[in-house]
Amino acid sequence: MVEKAKKRRPWIKRILIGILVIVVILGGIYWYVATEKFSDTKVRKAAYTLNALDFIREFQQNTNAANQKYTDKIITLNGKVAEIEAADTTLNIKFIDPATASYAIFAFQQQHLAEAKTIKIGDSISIKGSCSGGIYSEIKEATAINFQRSALNK
Amino acid sequence: MKKVIFFVPFIIVTGSLFAQKKITTSATIKFDASTSLDNLPKAENKTVIASINTTTGELAFEAAVKSFAFANPTMQGHFNGSAWLDSDKYPTFTYKGAITDISSVNFAKDGTYTVKTEGLLTVKGTGQKLATPATIVIKDGIITESADFSIKLSDFGITGAPIDGGKVSKEPKISITAELK
Repeated sequence: MVEKAKKRRPWIKRILIGILVIVVILGGIYWYVATEKFSDTKVRKAAYTLNALDFIREFQQNTNAANQKYTDKIITLNGKVAEIEAADTTLNIKFIDPATASYAIFAFQQQHLAEAKTIKIGDSISIKGSCSGGIYSEIKEATAINFQRSALNK
Repeated sequence: MKKVIFFVPFIIVTGSLFAQKKITTSATIKFDASTSLDNLPKAENKTVIASINTTTGELAFEAAVKSFAFANPTMQGHFNGSAWLDSDKYPTFTYKGAITDISSVNFAKDGTYTVKTEGLLTVKGTGQKLATPATIVIKDGIITESADFSIKLSDFGITGAPIDGGKVSKEPKISITAELK
């Protein structure tokens, strides 16, 4: 009887160690996912660098194709700031195609919010952000292309 | 006939002055579906298109679903995925409605007004009536409108294990702010 119990113990130990290892792995994965953050856009490499008006016109010509090409990618646009708008406690900056009123708009990444306040209408800038795609706005009757987590490209 | 010719342009000019539709492309929508079990499902979208017609009281919002920015990349992926908002298929949230007591607001004078609004909120292709109070603040010609309300995710066909398991609120809080010039 005692011998049988002794024989079982190594298995119980192995099972307990196995469960512990699984718990530690799952805990590690949960911790990694729960604390994961977006990286700083400023240090990320842009997938595309384009002139702002050319970019906006590409969306106007074929929004679906442009969305497939650019959405969820880091894009750098170069152009003249056409508008600066208050957005809650911060500012968004816009490039606008004067012919159609279609636009690309940039909301700044948390650590780069102060940069928005240094920009003036008419400034020629290079800005990088995560493109969240373009939609046709019935309100504006124009194409709106949105960027998140933006930073000035210096 | 001469009087008609004189008055028609006059009416058009004065009409365009007073029939004001004000638009911003930088309204903010905050979405908070966090619970005591999970603090991650909350986001904000700062590039929402919003309009108000100060004559008729008509209100409208358009928010690109993919522009809701979460602090956590995995949560943002889930939010846009087919089980949740399916943003590839349904790229926008929209609201079309009106201030029902527009006569109570004097847009020419600085002040704070609490108004009633009614309209249709469309999320994931499903429209639901929404009636909620809103606040209109007028200061130096700038109109700031804001509203706080909650929605039932099941009303828009959004269900799933994280919601049933209490990791995502069944009734997320929504806050909207728009500054219109």
